[in-house]
Parts: sequence; structure tokens; C-alpha cells
Amino acid sequence: MAAIDIPEVHKFIEAIPPFSGLSLLERKQVLTGVSMLYVRQGQTLVLKEDAATVHLIRRGACEIRTPKGGLVDQIADGECFGVSSVMAQNPDGLQVVAMEDSLVYRFDKARFMEMIEESEAFGLFFEHTQHNRLRKLTRSQNRELSSPALQLSTPIAHIMTRQLIQATPEETVQTIAMRMTEARVSSILVVEEGRLQGIVTDRDLRSRILAVGSSSNALVADIMTASPVTLSPDSLVMQAQTLMSESNIHHLPIVDEEHRAVGMLTAADLLRHQELSPLLLINQIHRQQSVESLVHVCKQWPTLIINLIVTDMKAADVGKVLATVSDNLTRRLIDLALEKFGPAPMAFQFLVFGSQARRDQSLGSDQDNGLMLEREPTEEESRYFAEFSEFVCQGLGLCGIRLCPGNIMASNPEWRKTTAGWQQAFSRWIKSSAPSALLHASIFFDIRCVYDNGKEEGAAVKDLIKSMQLEVSKNSVFLATLTRSALVTKPPLGFFRHFLLESSGEHKHQLDLKHQGLALINDLARLYGLSCQTYRVGTLDRIEQAIREKLISVDTARNLMDAWDKLNGLRLEAQRGHFQATGKASAYLDPKDLSPLERKHLKTTFSIISDVQDVAQQRFLRGYS
Amino acid sequence: MWIALMQRLTAWRLAQQSAKRRWAEWDYLVLDIETSGLDAKQDHIVSVGWVCIHNGVIELDTARHIVLDNAQIGDNVGIHMITDSDVQQYGKRQESVLRYLRHLLKNRVLVVHHAPMELGFLKHAWQTESLPTFSLSWLDTLAIERSKANRAQQPIQDGGFRLDACRERYGLPDYQGHDALTDALATAELLLAQIAYQGKDCRLYDLNQMGGGRARLTCR
Repeated sequence: MAAIDIPEVHKFIEAIPPFSGLSLLERKQVLTGVSMLYVRQGQTLVLKEDAATVHLIRRGACEIRTPKGGLVDQIADGECFGVSSVMAQNPDGLQVVAMEDSLVYRFDKARFMEMIEESEAFGLFFEHTQHNRLRKLTRSQNRELSSPALQLSTPIAHIMTRQLIQATPEETVQTIAMRMTEARVSSILVVEEGRLQGIVTDRDLRSRILAVGSSSNALVADIMTASPVTLSPDSLVMQAQTLMSESNIHHLPIVDEEHRAVGMLTAADLLRHQELSPLLLINQIHRQQSVESLVHVCKQWPTLIINLIVTDMKAADVGKVLATVSDNLTRRLIDLALEKFGPAPMAFQFLVFGSQARRDQSLGSDQDNGLMLEREPTEEESRYFAEFSEFVCQGLGLCGIRLCPGNIMASNPEWRKTTAGWQQAFSRWIKSSAPSALLHASIFFDIRCVYDNGKEEGAAVKDLIKSMQLEVSKNSVFLATLTRSALVTKPPLGFFRHFLLESSGEHKHQLDLKHQGLALINDLARLYGLSCQTYRVGTLDRIEQAIREKLISVDTARNLMDAWDKLNGLRLEAQRGHFQATGKASAYLDPKDLSPLERKHLKTTFSIISDVQDVAQQRFLRGYS
Repeated sequence: MWIALMQRLTAWRLAQQSAKRRWAEWDYLVLDIETSGLDAKQDHIVSVGWVCIHNGVIELDTARHIVLDNAQIGDNVGIHMITDSDVQQYGKRQESVLRYLRHLLKNRVLVVHHAPMELGFLKHAWQTESLPTFSLSWLDTLAIERSKANRAQQPIQDGGFRLDACRERYGLPDYQGHDALTDALATAELLLAQIAYQGKDCRLYDLNQMGGGRARLTCR
């Protein structure tokens, strides 16, 4: 075998650590016996026999996976795999799968081992690489364990209610009914000498007393279910679930070895354990009587959002659910404000803008809102609405919907206007076409009424929207300006090469899914939405409406809707990851978290946005660019 | 007569085998020739570069770059970056280079990008040096690419069959240098990529159908 003297090979190798640290002679030595292969995307490389050696990716990207398919690492141009094969015969059985078509150098095993022994730095580098992979491997295996199956194997003791409502067999039905009502529970345990004798549920009171016309003086012993089905606290959630569904019961007393009642497990507890439901949260919101208790209830909100994301709910639906929760929270706060400050002196509408209006909120969305008043308020009435708005906005902030950094909130007097005032404001923005007006437009043109104390629900807002749309349709310069601003930011298509090259380095390239992706689609949809006859506020609704009004081709529109879904899903997932790790919701995508399929999709997604930007330019900028 | 018959029988058997054997079971020599111009009759070979494929992988050890001693450089130095001093220092006699090539090609399939050109120069050189008649099988990565495009009914633009353009479609790196060796390596990588897209059961026979054939190099 002779030394390799191919300029292009040397040029590449000498820029790649740890090869860059070798002398020319050493490089020639380690290159001796190198072969080159082309691996098709999706193909798995078998690292056996001659191939059980170090490989260096010349061009392309590969994934390292466990035998079960768990992701260990993603590597690209200039990175090596097969390190553990050459150093320790690949005890973990790691596989290499090409994520892209890849051109790969395969080193000669013997030469490579020689170099590892000869050059300490060279050897250390690969030992470190191997160590790194092992660490990632452990992490990936841990993740494989935290499957839903684990949830089912939680011991009941962790989720049962320990505060027990009890009765004796000699008590009357009326007394226990009162006790149950007071404690807001639907069942009571019947206990004698410390032992569990029976259980009475709401259903028993209904079917064994009311339905048969028995007296409320009847004794508990007569109507209770004696010797009910029970479980011990160390049983698993799965056992409880099976037992309850087999016996068709919703209440399961938990007893210890001496048959003493130690807890109660209801179907609701099980449900809550599995996922916190949005309905439950909304119900709880409406039951709270103070901002403090609302804040307390809303502490569950992030958990709810995370549950929704984890259950793979569609991104658009997550947004709708969150909007429903925040709409209800807003209404509850308004009700509390009305209780505190007395009834409003006139009809008003509470408006929301931006993401809450579009119903695509996510973790950590901030609030954008305002008030629309029936008429100009007097000084005293102004003061009322100031206090009222302050209460609602601060309340929302405390409950987790962050205060708007741009101060677009009802608590800002500028955003408490009469219907005519709002109409003038919109008209001014549309006519001026100044950058600040466009900024406003992008927020305020997404508008929805969440509370109306007047007779005609939201009628004033509908008028406002109608006049706004009329104004837009008369002003094609405005649409052109809006288009131009919607096309200023381009999707980051050049991102991927960087990401691959720097994914393991210190300067990780990160992607802002919100501002570099979703916002671009929202802008495009708004553009189309505003040129439609019928106003829609959600991004997907707007695109659908544009199809209906034939402003956009069905294919283009579908692609764009898919792109929105895709990006929104990724954003939610990224936010969830960040939130669970740091307590903060960031829409930055950590490249390490992307699967190859996601990466490929994301590339396509960005090119779709770019395509639709071109289409929009054709449509709205003809004659203006 | 008897020998000629045996040769034809051997050729026929080989052809039969090629119909069944996977491509990787064959050995290949990927060749690029730098010339002083495009006309094989007037112009001459300046340098040759090659690399071999064995067991389905490119063996970088086998890469060679040879400058011929009769190369007249003149104005073409800008194209292939070979200088008069290179020729004086490293130049080899065309005849010995061709004999060496013939030796290597005995058990290998010749691979080039745009066969008419390379074969034209080889044929002419064979005559110039009065070498004994030699038959070889060849594959043309350009022809393979063209058949692929035709099958997929994807018209390819002018210039789309240049080596760089073909490589770009397979995500292969952009090589800066354009000497015979780099182009031979570039062609070899392109062949691997083309084969990877044919699926894992690709046979030499299939590649031949797309862009290959047999050629006879004679002294006459």
C-alpha cells in the first residue's frame, strides 16, 4: 500500500480535528488504506469485519442508534463514527444510519490503531468521542424507560386521597349527605372500630333513597354497599384501573393489611394522574373567588400544556384549547373585577389581539388586549375602566399570561377606545403605511371579542372589522406595503448546513421557530385574510377562506397549512423541552432534539414558506415593487 | 484460430456471468485523461489519473496521477496546472504508461465520464505506440446519468451532464482542483452514488445497459 496523494483528500482531512493536529507524514500514514463509500439515505451501515473501524463523513449526515432504535447521536461532515467498534468491538451494538446521502472515508483498522498509539492527542480525542457517545447512550436509554407504561406502574399510594370522609353505620342518611356536601365529595366510607365496613356514594343516595322514596332518616347500614371492593396502597395504578372498569365502580377504598381505610381513589384521581384535563382547569377557574386562588389554580397551566403536547395533540388544537382556557380565565377575571368595582357604567367589549385572538397561544405567550367602550366615558367612568383594566391585566399576568412588553393592554389608556375611536385608529394605520402603523397592523388586525356585557354579543367588534376591511380593500397601496413587510424576513434555508456543522461545537446554531418561521406564515395568512371578503382571525381559517375566495391555489394553501402545523408542532415541542429543563419557555429549537425526519420536513417547510412568499409577491406587489 | 475461439468463449462466459453478478463483485478502474485539446487526431495526452474500486469501495491507495514526458504544455497550463518543469521532472513515457494501464485494465472494467472522448484518445495513443490489440469493457457515468434522466423523463438542462453538475445532484462535494486525478476520483464517487440510487442489487449488467460497452484498442 502506498501513501495517498490526493490533494482534495488532504485538503479536507487537514482541516478536521484531530487530524489537523497530525503532521503531514502522520496524516499520510493514517490515510494509508483508506477507502471511500457512498451510503444512500436511510441505509444502515453494518460495522463488522473490515468495516469495524473508524469512518469519517466527507459529506452527509448520519445517526448513531441503539439496537432498539434509540437515538444516541447525530453527526455530519467532518465527524467520525465507528470509534467504539475499533476501540472496544462495539459492545453496545450501535448502528449507523444515513440521514442524508453520505460520502464516507473508511480508515484501515490497523493503521488507525497504530496512530492512536503513536499520537497521544489523537488517541485522547477518540477516547473522548467514545466517552461522549456513551454518555448520550445512557441518556437515550433513560428516555426509553420513561414511557407511558411507567405511568401505569405508579403505586396507588402516590395518587390516592388521604383525607377521608367517614361515617358510622348507625348514622342517618341525612347527616352523611350533609357531611358529603360540605366536603364536596361524592362518596363516604363507613367505618366501625377502625375497620372499613362499607361505602356510600352519590349514586347510592339517589338509587336507594330518592328513587324508592325512602326516608332521609334511614340508617347508613341499610343503604351502604357492604364489603366493597378494595385495594392495598402498594397496588399499581394499572391494577386499580382494571379493577374499577371490571367492577364498574368509580370509587375505590384503599385499605391496609388490618382492613383499616387509609385512602380513597376515584376515577377522577386516575384521570388527573394521567393527564390534567383542560375542562377540569376551566371548571376550577370558574369556581375561584379571588385572584389569589386563580393564581394558585393556574399554576397547573404549564403542566396542562405539557400534557397536551405530550399526548401528540395537533398543534392547531393545542392552540385552540389554550385560547379557550385563557378566554375563560379572562372572563373570570372580568367577573371578579365587576364584583369588586361594581357594574360597569356602560356597555363594553373586552378585546384580545395577537396570538390569543388567532387562537395559537403556546407556553409563555404574552397578553395583547384592549377595551371597546359604548361611548366617550366621563372622567369618573374613565377612572372606573382604568381600575377595572388594571385589575384584569395584572390578574392575567399573575396567572401566567405575561404582561405585554409593548404595553398593548387594556390597562393602557391608549387602548381603551370607543367604537368610533377604534375605527379611526384602524383607518389611520391603513392610510399611513408607516412602519409603526404596519407593526400595529400586524397585532391589531388579529382581533377577537372575549367579553361583551352589551345586548348584541360582539356586534360592535363585527362593525369594526367590517369597516377595517372596507378600508383595506379601498387601499391597494396599504396591501402592497403590508406585503413588502411580510416578505422582508426570509425563512432560514441556509440554516441546515450550519446546524450540522456546528451541532456539537460550542457555538450551536439555534433556530427561532417563532420569528423565523411561524410569524412569516402568520403574516402571509393575514395578508390573504385581509384581502378576503369575509374576515377570519385564525391563520388556518384565513388560508381556508382564501381558498374559498379563490385568492390562492388549493395546493399552495394546503402546503402552507401543513407548514404551519409542522412548525407549530415543533415550536410546542421545543417549548416543552425548554420549560421542563429550565422553567422558561423558549421557542428556540435545539438542533440536537431534531430527528432526521423532522430535519428533512423542516427544510421542506421552510422552502414552502419561501415559495408562498414568492406567490404573494406576484399577487400583491404587481406594479408596486 | 483455436485461441481466437477460446477468447470468444471466455468473453461470452464473462458476459453471461455479468448478467448475474452484483456490481461490487467486479473491479473497476476509473480513469480521467487531461489532453492538450479536444481532437484525438491532433491533440495529445498531457496526464492521466486513475483510482480503483474494489469490493464496492474506492481504494484511495490505488490513486495515481501521471504526467507524460512528451506533453507540450504551452498555453494550456492554466487548465490542468501542469507546468513544463513538471513534465521534465515527473514525465513518464507514454508507451510505458499505456502498458501499465493495459496491465491494470486486464481484470477491471474501465470507468470514464464521457466515453467517446477518453476512448478516442486511448485508441489513438494505442496506434501511435503500436501496442498489441486489447479489448476492454467500459462504463460511462455521463451515459448512465443520461439514461437515468431519460427513464425518469426529467429533461436535464444544457451543461447538466458536466461532471460537477452530475455530482451536485447526488450531494457530492464541490472539488476545487481539476487535474486528472481529482476528476478520476470525482468520477468514481459519482459512479458509487449512481449505483447507490439503483438499489442494492444493482448488477454490472444493469449499468452496462444504461451506459457501457466493449471497446477494442488496436495498433491499426
